[in-house]
Amino acid sequence: MNDSAATMNQGPVATTQAVTSAGAPKLTVRDLHFYYNGFHALKGISMDIPEKKVTAIIGPSGCGKSTLLRIFNRIYAIYPKLEAKGEIVLDGENILDPRYSMNRLRSKVGMVFQKPVPFPMTIFENVAYGIRHHEKLSKADMTVRVEQALRSAALWDEVKDKLKQNALGLSGGQQQRLCIARAIALKPEVLLLDEPTSALDPIATGRIEQLVEELKNEFTIVIVTHNMQQAARCSDQTAFMYLGELIEFSGTEQIFTKPGKKQTEDYITGRFG
Amino acid sequence: MSSLYLRRRITNWLAMGLSMLATLVGLAFLAWILWETLRQGIAALQPSLFTKITAYGADGGLANAMVGSLVINFIGIAIATPIGVLAGAWLAEYANRTTLGESIRFLNDILLSAPSIVIGLFVYTIVVLPTTALTHGSTTFSGFAGGIALALIALPVIVRTTDEMLRLVPSTLREAALSLGVPQWKLTLQILIRAARSGIITGVLLALARISGETAPLLFTAFGNNYMAINPINKMSSLPQIIYQYANDPGDAMHSMAWAGAFVVTMFVLLLSLASRLVLSRNKVSHE
Repeated sequence: MNDSAATMNQGPVATTQAVTSAGAPKLTVRDLHFYYNGFHALKGISMDIPEKKVTAIIGPSGCGKSTLLRIFNRIYAIYPKLEAKGEIVLDGENILDPRYSMNRLRSKVGMVFQKPVPFPMTIFENVAYGIRHHEKLSKADMTVRVEQALRSAALWDEVKDKLKQNALGLSGGQQQRLCIARAIALKPEVLLLDEPTSALDPIATGRIEQLVEELKNEFTIVIVTHNMQQAARCSDQTAFMYLGELIEFSGTEQIFTKPGKKQTEDYITGRFG
Repeated sequence: MSSLYLRRRITNWLAMGLSMLATLVGLAFLAWILWETLRQGIAALQPSLFTKITAYGADGGLANAMVGSLVINFIGIAIATPIGVLAGAWLAEYANRTTLGESIRFLNDILLSAPSIVIGLFVYTIVVLPTTALTHGSTTFSGFAGGIALALIALPVIVRTTDEMLRLVPSTLREAALSLGVPQWKLTLQILIRAARSGIITGVLLALARISGETAPLLFTAFGNNYMAINPINKMSSLPQIIYQYANDPGDAMHSMAWAGAFVVTMFVLLLSLASRLVLSRNKVSHE
């Protein structure tokens, strides 16, 4: 846990939210607004997401935490009438710029969803499918890449003898780790996890959390969770959102032991939400 | 309290009784049709039905009609399946919730309920007549023309089921693929159609079942042929057309052959329905 966080407001787009940075930011969000068919869902979010750390986003249902996550890889753009305004800078470039290639963005920013969604194909193909779209690999290289990804996702030992079987036959927890393997197989820089354990049992959840801890050495991780213990257990930084605003963002330990805002404290102590 | 309870019980019995009666009426007719077909059909079954052709009339069989039905149905399904699946995929994945998509969906439903005789006449006008002009007046009824007419009947069924089955695929699967940077066309052809595969196959089988009983569209297209024809460039016979023809004949022998034909078609359709059930239940592994 890193709590040597310095709180500061950002110059021209400064809002009332606290913006905290710890280490070099990988993603810089500036005055981000989001509209669902006219409904103002995110109201001027600004935050720096540190590199190779786990950043958790918590808050009550409907606060905009998933919405925020879904802007980081512009997956929201597949639905009509949704609009994001503001800036999200990844390695010096604004990813909300329409000229930023979707293909490039999605190879740099991977995503894992709430429900495990394996593709209707073999376990091996599930991992190889995404790689094949971005790179031309020889059969041997592909085998190595798939194995690496499955190992990183702590799934290799369980599936190494049945790579040719349909992925839909795996358990829910295994399917979710397969989805993580599929995402990290593309070697992204940022990994977005949208409530990745909400459909899993406690043991499978424990394994995913352990995995998140290991993966942060390689990736910048942003995890949305409605489980506060989960945020406390596996994140370095925690952002608390409420009604489309970023209320507080600082070191996880600080958020959970001495939150700076009354609303954060009320939420964490279970007074609402 | 007890009078209220009594009233509710009576209402319940009444509603249930009426529903069961309605079900029974429907089922009774189905059972009756099946029973008559089985009784008369099985009585008329004999090996010569499958070996002799219709040219011998009452002493013949239905071999050419069975072959004709298979060939014409195959042509119909072979034309309708790729077009129908792609069109359904377009409706579900590219044109969903657009005005154009909704209009086409509506038009497809109209085609779905278009009278089949109209479709037969349509194909007669756009396929049979122009080719007749090419052959200097010798009429060009053909198995191909019949297949095209049946394809037009199968097409809306396949479009509709593909569209509906694809829209049942959870949107999370789309998001998961798109978040890997996979483009929409790859997502549609390689993932979504595969995910909805069993539903789509069922749609194709149901369309096949639907067209195997069609008579009207074949009268002006395949026309009929008392001799064995395998090449669909020729006029072709088909089971429904023979049933129609023989049932109109005054001879009892012809009637029983019509029953045998009806039995064969019914069994074929029944087996197709069972097969589609099987396909659906075997692929029950879902995302839930």
